[in-house]
Amino acid sequence: MDHANGTANLASAAQTGQTEDAPGFKLKLCTVCASNQNRSMEGHLRLAQAGYPVISFGTGSLVRLPGPTITQPNVYKFNETSYDSIYRELEAKDPRLYRANGLLNMLGRNRVIKWGPERWQDWQIGMPRLKHEKDQGSEGMEGGVADVVITCEERCWDAVIDDLLNRGSPLNRPVHVINIDIRDNHEEASIGGGAIVDLADSLNKIAVEERDKVGAASFDSGSAASRSGFDERVPDVLADWQERWPNLPATWTLAWF
Amino acid sequence: MAAAPVKTLTVAEQIQQLNAARKIVLENASYYDRIVKGILPIIGPSSPVELRRWGAEFLAESLSSPALGNRDKENLTVAILDTLRLLVESPNEDPLVLKASVIAAASAYPIAMRWIIHNSYHKESWESISAIKTRILRIWDGAPTPVKICCIKFAQRVILTQTASNGMEQKMGGLDVSLSMIPPNHPLLDPRLLEAEGAGLLDRLLAVLQDNSSDALLVDSTLNTLAVLARTRPSTTTRILNKVLDFNPLKLANSPLTPKTKVLIKSMEKTTRSLLIHLFKRDPNNPLAPRMQQQIERLYGQRRDILDESSKKRAFVQPPAAEYNDAKRPRMDGGAAAQIQQRPPPPPQSLAAVYTLTNNPGLQSFDATQVPAALAAKINVRTLALINPAVLEQALNAIRIRFSTLYAAAAAAAPPQPPAINAGTAPLGVDEDDDDYEPDFYAAEDTEQILNKLDSAPPEVPAEDPAASAALAPLGPFKLQPPQTVNPDLALKVGQITSSRIFGPLPGLEEAAARKPKAGINRLAASSYDRDSWLTLITRLATRSTAALEDFSIGIKPEDPGNALDRPRTSLSNLIRETLYNYILEDWRRRIEVAVAWLCEEWYNDQLTKKSNADAPLHYEKWALRLVDGILTYTTAQDKVLTRFLAEIPELSRAVLGRLKSLCGDPTKVQLALTSLLYLVMMRPPVRDIALDTVADIWLEYEDARPLAGKYLLKWRPGFIESQQAQGGGAAPNTMIKA
Repeated sequence: MDHANGTANLASAAQTGQTEDAPGFKLKLCTVCASNQNRSMEGHLRLAQAGYPVISFGTGSLVRLPGPTITQPNVYKFNETSYDSIYRELEAKDPRLYRANGLLNMLGRNRVIKWGPERWQDWQIGMPRLKHEKDQGSEGMEGGVADVVITCEERCWDAVIDDLLNRGSPLNRPVHVINIDIRDNHEEASIGGGAIVDLADSLNKIAVEERDKVGAASFDSGSAASRSGFDERVPDVLADWQERWPNLPATWTLAWF
Repeated sequence: MAAAPVKTLTVAEQIQQLNAARKIVLENASYYDRIVKGILPIIGPSSPVELRRWGAEFLAESLSSPALGNRDKENLTVAILDTLRLLVESPNEDPLVLKASVIAAASAYPIAMRWIIHNSYHKESWESISAIKTRILRIWDGAPTPVKICCIKFAQRVILTQTASNGMEQKMGGLDVSLSMIPPNHPLLDPRLLEAEGAGLLDRLLAVLQDNSSDALLVDSTLNTLAVLARTRPSTTTRILNKVLDFNPLKLANSPLTPKTKVLIKSMEKTTRSLLIHLFKRDPNNPLAPRMQQQIERLYGQRRDILDESSKKRAFVQPPAAEYNDAKRPRMDGGAAAQIQQRPPPPPQSLAAVYTLTNNPGLQSFDATQVPAALAAKINVRTLALINPAVLEQALNAIRIRFSTLYAAAAAAAPPQPPAINAGTAPLGVDEDDDDYEPDFYAAEDTEQILNKLDSAPPEVPAEDPAASAALAPLGPFKLQPPQTVNPDLALKVGQITSSRIFGPLPGLEEAAARKPKAGINRLAASSYDRDSWLTLITRLATRSTAALEDFSIGIKPEDPGNALDRPRTSLSNLIRETLYNYILEDWRRRIEVAVAWLCEEWYNDQLTKKSNADAPLHYEKWALRLVDGILTYTTAQDKVLTRFLAEIPELSRAVLGRLKSLCGDPTKVQLALTSLLYLVMMRPPVRDIALDTVADIWLEYEDARPLAGKYLLKWRPGFIESQQAQGGGAAPNTMIKA
């Protein structure tokens, strides 16, 4: 069913006249960080620009942004606060400070990507997402599931896995959950965004290859049992990718929605 | 809509139509039924592979959609079972079609099962789903890996469905369908067979761990299905945990470490550890919990050793990003020690400021209380191990010099003040005398430790903040505010809570392990932490707790209404008594020993009370009567324990024995009452007379009891019956009392 969206993408791309550069099948991706502000949103933007269906989440209990001192962060609720309202609030509080530390710039970027920060634990996996047409990367995400989840910090990966184990995998749908350790600042987020797109491209390439192998599984005759598939090749792709990005340690597992 | 396949359409056009149809159901789930049934004919095994892929994926999506309710899903499932069966049974099927079909089957299985439980007449559905199950379990071993992992998931759903549940699962997606739902006399489903099949499948599922496979994909996908089983299907928990604990995810580390093996090792180790942490957090009382914790720590350590360079070196390779890294690093070098200022910071000095050696404003404003204690301890140990002793010495000296400067200044400013240091601050190592100075702390961490100890101080804020005035360095004695005075009402309320909490640990405490030989008079009460000890504590709390608080006597519970302050205390004892009373009556047959022990304590205290204060109220009689009343209400003819109770309590009065008479109102209990009395007559000579009086009263009042009572009286009080008969010519029993 994951692949239904590839064809969906193809069809809708055909309607919007983008057929020539739409390579067909696209993996559905999901980026996750702590506050759904910096790293996951950078990834979200870059993946959407690269033509991937993508959604993003934060695993923290609250959205936390730096404040005037380390003990006075700006704190907001997930799912209830829009990037735009945060932008306007911070701009009213201290435009110089928040422009200088890059927050306004980041929020300005985020508010054109989607409405507001969403919390992973509140995500109803598999619920159709049709009310998000204006979000970047929403096309192809209508089914409300992802093939690959990319987290940007180990504790986010832990939170995602723990949450998936807790949900008990009612959808029976496999999902690759990959962590890439990205430091939480603007420069590193930007570098990490590039790395995420690189990973997505590498993964998508093998997914397309495997989809093109149309034909019998022929395991009945026992001749081609070693035939590889997308899921199987993910660790190879990740190993190659890790060689290219040695400063961004990655962890992977196959979990279930 | 896609429901009408027209032969002239190309596959691409058909898929475009199907996508439009999919959009409709995503928007409104009520169309699922119609659209799914409409597309079934065009996604069968004879259709082009693109359509089959689309169809199988759409079926999987539909059956798992949280937008559909249980009832709708059941209808849908029953409708597609045949198509699904064709797809999984068709030979040489495309792996992607097969994969999606197996996913769909995994969602369909519990739903179909629930439907069949309630619609036992529908044999066909059961046959279809059984055929699907058989087929999937057969292709499991030989299938390409992507299909295989979905077979694993399918098997997990079968196990989940065919094992008894503890009801802890979320009620969604069919996770709650379990063996417990199947009635024992279902015509199609035999719970015992299903359970056995589920147990067999679990073994097969765990085989990948048992064999210590290094196929990370299979291992991860298996591990990630186990949490819900272990949590919600209790009969699987121990088996799963044992297999997971025996599994060694780091086996691959023995082979050469290529980039790929690193990915695989990391993946399996992390997935195993995540599962263990998840299960450990949710069931910390599991008997296997200590092993889980051990394994979690062991894996973490081994992984770090094996994959050292990838995880640890990074910190050094990377240029320090945050500015405080820059500030911290130079201080580790010997050369930078010169930066340490020996002059104390300008006033007003906070304790934190005195200990702050860095000049970096970012680091100065860092709130060390934000660091969790465990982490701080780790940092301390590491730092102390690595630090250059010369730098440490210099830092310590700097602090010493600051303190002596400050003391000198303070002494000059206020000479008559007593020494500024008292016990409140001495343990912090803030001492005038350098000899007592504890050089255990690394100076940079002291700020935080001191703040931890000064728990009344607010979290540190930059010194210029006026709100920080509370943290300013008062190097004089530190005093806690005196507590608020407690009024009697509050004390009473708190007392009630306390007394109820005293009973909290009882159910959790273990029974005294196998009766130990009695230590006799040398016994120390409450010396072992078992239930008996705790009960001893409670009984003494009830009977003597006021002893130490009252200066005039031991064990007195003055009930002087004039003294308001005494009331709550008095009530506290009685409150505990009341709770103890209820505790005993809850299961009095087994807790009779508690009752005896308690009454012994009461009696003892009454004796002491009598000695020291003749007016003080006594408690023994009152509570003995209540206990006897309470017990008699529930006594049956077989309760010989009553005899024992009466024999063991320290003092018997007429009133207590009088209560026994009421037992004789029930002819079945006459024997019990009289046997108890006879026992007393024979074994407790001091109460022989009152016991015999009671027997005589029974003889007089209850005709039913006369034969037995007469027998005893004949032996122990010869002549009594004759005298009675002589008086009243058969003395009609006093029927009024009997009523």
